[in-house]
Amino acid sequence: MVSYIKSNKMKTKCIDKDLIFYLDNELSVEKRTAVEKHLEECADCRSFLAFLKDGMQLIEHEKNPEASPFFYTRLSARLDQKTQQRTQSQWVRLVQPAFFSLMLVAGIFGGLKIGSNASSPKVYQQTKSSVQMLNDFATEPIESFLLDEL
Amino acid sequence: MDEAQLIKGIQEGDRKSFQILVETHQRMVVNTCLAIVHNKADAEDLAQDVFLEIFRTAENFRGDSKISTWLYRIATNRALNLIRNNKRKRFFQSIEDTFTGGRNRASEISENHGDQPDRNITDQQRSDMLHQAIDRLPEKQRIAFTLNKYEELPYQQIAEVMEISLSSVESLIHRAKKNLQEQLLDCYKKKCV
Repeated sequence: MVSYIKSNKMKTKCIDKDLIFYLDNELSVEKRTAVEKHLEECADCRSFLAFLKDGMQLIEHEKNPEASPFFYTRLSARLDQKTQQRTQSQWVRLVQPAFFSLMLVAGIFGGLKIGSNASSPKVYQQTKSSVQMLNDFATEPIESFLLDEL
Repeated sequence: MDEAQLIKGIQEGDRKSFQILVETHQRMVVNTCLAIVHNKADAEDLAQDVFLEIFRTAENFRGDSKISTWLYRIATNRALNLIRNNKRKRFFQSIEDTFTGGRNRASEISENHGDQPDRNITDQQRSDMLHQAIDRLPEKQRIAFTLNKYEELPYQQIAEVMEISLSSVESLIHRAKKNLQEQLLDCYKKKCV
């Protein structure tokens, strides 16, 4: 475990902005030499470099986690479940529109049946008499009828 | 069995081909998801979703790119979606907490720390610090950096996965490293670990 030297404030000339690239070997030869020279003199930058290195090494430790032995078994079970659900939903997708179409046809047929009955002579007579009764109300208001009763 | 045969088998619904694909790429997909979500259980669930999507949409695979590129693309998208959903949930949770006084949150505290119980506290703190720094990177920088660092993908393949140019990948990774370094420097100065 690296013990970090956390001393004075970082100097303004510190090269802490290049250190991550220094760690990854991404600096030009000139810049790399300059960084190495600075590191020899600057304890703060050396300390930060150690801190940075430790941080970046964590990535190495986290790489390649152990593979779960039951991964495919679980996946296979989920796949079966999905396939089953899809089959069921396909069945519902077929039956549901058929059912609603049937209901619609039944509704239309029922409506037509009622409509055809409405135009029969018997119903016409009934309608006529009830309309006549309603018309009588206009000529003989119900108030006067009730007053006559009294 | 080569990639084309494998894909053909999966397109025909052959479970054996699918099993070979899963066993060959399982570690890679879990690792990619883990690098983004930092939680092993979530990473495994995501990896399963990735393979289910592969099985479901195999017929759309034209074979222009490698299977691994396709897998990386789906894995990173799904992992980012999970993070976005979690952020949204946390946002609504914080609103709920302001009204309930945070009474329902006790059970959820430190939920991500249960993955590696044998790690000591300093290691865990350093790991959390690094994860937080990576999570604060903008999405594209995070993906490019993660694929490069955790998966050791060459820039060219990252460009294919992210469907961007090579120079954009270089720029994204450069900026990601700079941002990460700034955050770690900040943390170092504040002695947060």
